[in-house]
Amino acid sequence: MTLLAEKPAVESPKPVRAGLIEPHQLWQSLPGALQKLDPRVMWRNPVMFIVEIGAVFTTVLSITDPSVFAWIITVWLWLTVVFANLAEAVAEGRGKAQAAALRAAKQDTVAVLKDGREISATQLKQGDVVVVVAGQTIPGDGDVIEGIASVDESAITGESAPVIRESGGDRSAVTGGTKVLSDRIVVRITQKPGESFVDRMIALVEGANRQKTPNEIALNILLAALTIIFLLSVVTLQPLAIFSKAFNAAAPDTVALDGNGVTGIVLVSLIVCLIPTTIGALLSAIGIAGMDRLVQRNVLAMSGRAVEAAGDVNTLLLDKTGTITLGNRQAAEFVPVEGVTAATLAEAAHLSSLADETPEGRSVVKLAGLGEREPGLIPHAVFVPFTAQTRMSGVDLPERQIRKGAASAVMKWVGRPSPEVAAIVDRISDEGGTPLVVAETGRVLGVIHLKDVVKPGMRARFDEMRRMGIRTVMITGDNPRTAKAIADEAGVDDFLAEATPEDKLAYIRKEQDGGRLVAMTGDGTNDAPALAQADVGVAMNTGTSAAKEAGNMVDLDSDPTKLIEIVEIGKQLLITRGALTTFSISNDIAKYFAIIPAMFAAVYPGLGTLNIMRLHSPGSAILSAVIFNALIIVALIPLALRGVRYRPSSASALLRRNLWIYGLGGVVLPFLGIKLIDLLIQFIPGI
Amino acid sequence: MRLPTWLTQHIAALRALLVFTVLLGLAYPLAFVAIGRVPGLSDKADGSLVTVGDTTVGSSLVGQSYTDADGNPDPRYFQSRPSAAGDGYDPTSTSASNLGPESVVDTLSDNPDDASQSLLTQVCARSLAVGKLEGVNGSRPYCTADGVGAVLAVFYRDGLTGPVTRVVSVNQTDKPFLPTYGGVTVEPAQNGKDYQALGGVITPIRGNAPSSPVVPADAVTASGSGLDPDISPAYATLQAPRIARERGLTLDQVHKLIADHTDGRALGFLGEPAVNVLELNLSLDGK
Amino acid sequence: MAGWLFVITLVLALAAVYRPFGDYMYRVVSGPRDNVVERGVYRLVGVDRNAEQTWGVYARSVLAFSAVSILFLFAFVRLQDKLWLSLGVDPVNSHVAWNTAVSFVTNTNWQAYSGESTMGHLVQMAGLAVQNFVSAAVGIAVAVAFVRGFAARRSGTLGNFWVDLTRITLRVLLPICVVATLIFMIAGMVQNLSGGTDVTTLTGATQHITGGPVASQEAIKELGTNGGGFYNANSAHPFENPTAWTNWLQIFLIFLIPFSLPRVFGRMVGQNRQGYAIVAVMAVLAIASVALTVAFEVHGAGTVPQAVGAAMEGKETRFGIPNSAAFAAATTLTSTGAVNSFHDSYTALGGMMPMVNMMLGEVAPGGVGSGLYGLLVLAVITVFVAGLMVGRTPEYLGKKIGAREMKLASSYFLITPALVLIGTAAAFATGHNSTALNVGPHGLSEVLYAFTSASNNNGSAFAGITVNTPWWDTALGLAMLLGRFLPLVLVLALAGSLARQKATPESEGTLPTHQPLFVGLVVGVTVVLVALTFLPALALGPLAEGLS
Repeated sequence: MTLLAEKPAVESPKPVRAGLIEPHQLWQSLPGALQKLDPRVMWRNPVMFIVEIGAVFTTVLSITDPSVFAWIITVWLWLTVVFANLAEAVAEGRGKAQAAALRAAKQDTVAVLKDGREISATQLKQGDVVVVVAGQTIPGDGDVIEGIASVDESAITGESAPVIRESGGDRSAVTGGTKVLSDRIVVRITQKPGESFVDRMIALVEGANRQKTPNEIALNILLAALTIIFLLSVVTLQPLAIFSKAFNAAAPDTVALDGNGVTGIVLVSLIVCLIPTTIGALLSAIGIAGMDRLVQRNVLAMSGRAVEAAGDVNTLLLDKTGTITLGNRQAAEFVPVEGVTAATLAEAAHLSSLADETPEGRSVVKLAGLGEREPGLIPHAVFVPFTAQTRMSGVDLPERQIRKGAASAVMKWVGRPSPEVAAIVDRISDEGGTPLVVAETGRVLGVIHLKDVVKPGMRARFDEMRRMGIRTVMITGDNPRTAKAIADEAGVDDFLAEATPEDKLAYIRKEQDGGRLVAMTGDGTNDAPALAQADVGVAMNTGTSAAKEAGNMVDLDSDPTKLIEIVEIGKQLLITRGALTTFSISNDIAKYFAIIPAMFAAVYPGLGTLNIMRLHSPGSAILSAVIFNALIIVALIPLALRGVRYRPSSASALLRRNLWIYGLGGVVLPFLGIKLIDLLIQFIPGI
Repeated sequence: MRLPTWLTQHIAALRALLVFTVLLGLAYPLAFVAIGRVPGLSDKADGSLVTVGDTTVGSSLVGQSYTDADGNPDPRYFQSRPSAAGDGYDPTSTSASNLGPESVVDTLSDNPDDASQSLLTQVCARSLAVGKLEGVNGSRPYCTADGVGAVLAVFYRDGLTGPVTRVVSVNQTDKPFLPTYGGVTVEPAQNGKDYQALGGVITPIRGNAPSSPVVPADAVTASGSGLDPDISPAYATLQAPRIARERGLTLDQVHKLIADHTDGRALGFLGEPAVNVLELNLSLDGK
Repeated sequence: MAGWLFVITLVLALAAVYRPFGDYMYRVVSGPRDNVVERGVYRLVGVDRNAEQTWGVYARSVLAFSAVSILFLFAFVRLQDKLWLSLGVDPVNSHVAWNTAVSFVTNTNWQAYSGESTMGHLVQMAGLAVQNFVSAAVGIAVAVAFVRGFAARRSGTLGNFWVDLTRITLRVLLPICVVATLIFMIAGMVQNLSGGTDVTTLTGATQHITGGPVASQEAIKELGTNGGGFYNANSAHPFENPTAWTNWLQIFLIFLIPFSLPRVFGRMVGQNRQGYAIVAVMAVLAIASVALTVAFEVHGAGTVPQAVGAAMEGKETRFGIPNSAAFAAATTLTSTGAVNSFHDSYTALGGMMPMVNMMLGEVAPGGVGSGLYGLLVLAVITVFVAGLMVGRTPEYLGKKIGAREMKLASSYFLITPALVLIGTAAAFATGHNSTALNVGPHGLSEVLYAFTSASNNNGSAFAGITVNTPWWDTALGLAMLLGRFLPLVLVLALAGSLARQKATPESEGTLPTHQPLFVGLVVGVTVVLVALTFLPALALGPLAEGLS
């Protein structure tokens, strides 16, 4: 019997902090943003590095040849860089808060080795064996090799209810920084010094040494190429501009163009406006925020690559129990033996389950319908708890003893086998149910049919998955007949019955050979090979160290349905990048229409027709474009952190939606924005 | 002996090139040269030459000039379009003028070798000449009465804006086509001056010529090849009265000849109706 | 009206041959058998027709063949006076020879010389026209190899260049040329080895009617999207384009292979609808471009066209304005560069359209082969951005577009704009723009046009500019060389990278690349990403001239 109340079966996703940022967050991140202006940091982001160089250049020009226009442009170019850094700093800042909480858990603990020596936790090596007793903090990650204890893991999971950790089996892993509440356990340390779970988690949420993910690298290449193209397009403009100005000798000098060609300030402004600064500024924030979203859902990804892979998954392998069906079976039917009335059986079952706090027990009470359990309802009753040895539970009343449990155990208790009961037991087993035999002193009363219950809402989710192009496969140890019945009921696409670890591994390999990416969850040691083979392997935190090592993500909540959310987060991460890239590129159209007439209408008045926004003056037009370009970064920080809205749907529906919003929006919005800014700044004297 | 890979690759490449040169560069074109000897095809393969008596007088596909030794139009013949091929209709030097739509400022110089006419002036001059030859109004928009481009360089106080300070008629060294512009007296141009470089804004003046001039477009523009064998039916019709007069034919006879030598659009939609000038003129000579 | 009918009939004719001709080409490049002649060629060349090549070997074969071709052609034109049928012309000087050799081998056919006065007949037919065939075949071969990269399943090989070259030349290009030559001869094109005939005109002057093996060269000039004219006036010359219907036929031949190759693509990747999507992108861009060019020219804006009453300068009477404009669009939408009217004298915006067509990268439908691979690279970039937007690692036809693929694709689409912009700027910075005939923005257009044309391997010109100077010949030669072979190697490298991948099966979550939405997106990416790069330069050239 479990010590703890089970969690509600289908957990509603934890409320996740919305992407909204408070102004004070921006302020707090400002110092960090300024620190990032260091060129040695900036050059890692080529797009913004170019902007910074441009800002330095215009600063010099503004000093040597000061004007209101030059200084305002310079200020806004610097702001553009700062805003970009701010985005990253804000994203990192959120992680820092979490990291601080984690660090608190990682206070220097003292480890008591089995031989009684006490050493600092930081000196623990792999293979050390330590003893932890109630009230102590576990000094490092490891496996329980002796004993059982309840552990408070709230430091890392945020879940206040204690969990059980015991030697052997699939709940043997303990994490450093968690606290033993009761009993005593002996733990073999499995981590290397400084590479504990908590260490990794801190590094992860802080975004330190963040590796760029494959798609991010590819996108960076595209952005670099665009930057080069636009750089070229602007730089090579200069000889042409000089020629044109010289040809049309009547044209007066303007802020944008004189006999030496386009002025340095305007040239830089044009470059900055054209290169994809919006996405360039937000790209790393998007990545950090994506990881952050996972962390907030208590999933720890060992690499960003895995998160991206989650978005690509074609096949989801889901364990039946706990994921598709409720973790425990529910009583569905009372089957009395010959000569026993259904009511008698129900009453006996009811009595035997009154003290049984397992979901099965509660479901029996519920099915019997004889009233709620209340302590002291039945006087003199002595409840017999379930033990692994007896494999029965029950109740001893003054005049009778009632037991329920596994058929063989109860039969043994009753003392004589009954072919009739055996038949019923076999039938229920064949149907995929679990038979629970109920007996009172001397005779079997009947059998409770425990059935798998598919979690509500699962079918809808699998339908969603299908729309997203993801196949769901149910993994179960049940026989094929049972498995099929449940698979049909749940609406999964396929199932793997009587699955052994080898079967799982083979199935994953088969899928991968077909070019598909596979995600799975697992907790046991025997899941480790499959977790390692899967492209996305989510280990349950309750699982063994082996499983956690093999997978590339760990779910601290140990909730197998989390896999679905992970897939969605992976997708959202990519969509956000794609959407903002599209937006960024679309913006260029309006900027062209602002800046080109501003530069050249003085030489060729006909080009004034391109000034479709009717901007006030060349100076105000260029300034408006630069200001818009900077402000849009700030405006999009919340979106970058929150991710664009994602609803599971087919690729074409997603594309259509995002294209309308970010493509068309990206074309239209800057026209409005630049015009609006122009309306305001035309009143600045000197513009 | 084994050759290095890069070398064998280049040897294969050379062999391939030689094989294809023989196949595609000799066998294929020479086969068609041979086919071109087939009666019925040989005339065309040789250039659609037209022979009158013993003299080969031209190709029906290639236009020619109908001018005397001094380059003046021979009034007995329908005139071809202007040509930029050599000195006109020179098949060894096919060319177009390549002047752009805003080629409107002439280079004026004392030395004729340094001087050059803008496309606009060429058009205006041709229009005037054709008008004179055919006895019709040769005026066109943007053209002066003396057949050059009507173009002013206008100087403004502030460069492109402000009050007019000075105006020059850039293509005329004599009396400007306009007395005043913007309240300022128009000056004639001086040789060798680039008024745009001096700060003038080049301003073509539309004038009040009809927007559909009497002299058709093909009569005042050079073709792409400089060998255009055709003129438009409109241009042929314009020339009809002169031809009738010179040849002693009635106007109707000439119109009929024109109609006979007008190729409509192929299949009714390809190209434009055109009159083959050589064939038309030959038919005049044949009369 | 007749002008629109001209365009509509072309569209219908190309639509009609798309399937049968595309299927035919598919069988040529994918069929297992070789005919007797082909086997003979393999023996003479000394290659094993069953040897599959990796991308590196394929690329080296292409480069070896092209290098040998350039050297051969260079020597040919330098030595032409020593050979038969030279018509007494001088050897071509070294910088024009370099420029010409590069030009014809790169399928550009930019001509820094005037055909009738510079080249003998032997050089024209056995030197230049041979390259017309094989440079076209190289383009198609590389496109086919690229598509094999998509179709391959982890094999890593792209076919055999020598086999592709031979089969495409002998089974696709040659048969069509044979038919086209015959038709052209019937229409009146000359086909002889004569040095010309002196005639006495009606007014007693002498005119030298030129000869030459024109019809046979004309067929491949259009079919192979080469564009190098036998004569200086190119397809405006009555011997190169005698009638309005040969004009139609020439445009048809220009478009025939580029517009049918998407069918080959569709067949090779096993999804005809993918071919339809690609051809739809091409068609949308092409139709829009033709319509705009015709509209601008018919409208006839600008001082001189207004004075004339029509934009007739540089155009032939038999073609008229709409058909000339359609040809101008066709020749620049592909890498042809032949002209039947002179773009320099077009209206400002009408003359901008050919430039824009080339700036798009000549992908609608582009040169033979190069158009398909160019557009597919743009599709790859589109897939990347769009693929992210559907929340997956982008994949095109089951092949993932990762960092390596993006590196190659990005470099590809960087190259031509870089060449165009750097070349144009260099000309102005060094004062070599002074050889432009026209002044001001139009002179700028002439320079910009020259580098756009050379870098995109088009070969047409705003012909006013004088380019047979050492600087121009060298610079444009480099632009042509780099504009051809850098993208080509990158495309093969990309193909190699794709060929090594296994394919991801398609699912509901896969970005559909055959739907109108995707077609629209590729069009958008092409216009926004590529054309906008040139907007500043265009603003100072044709736009400055046209928007006044």
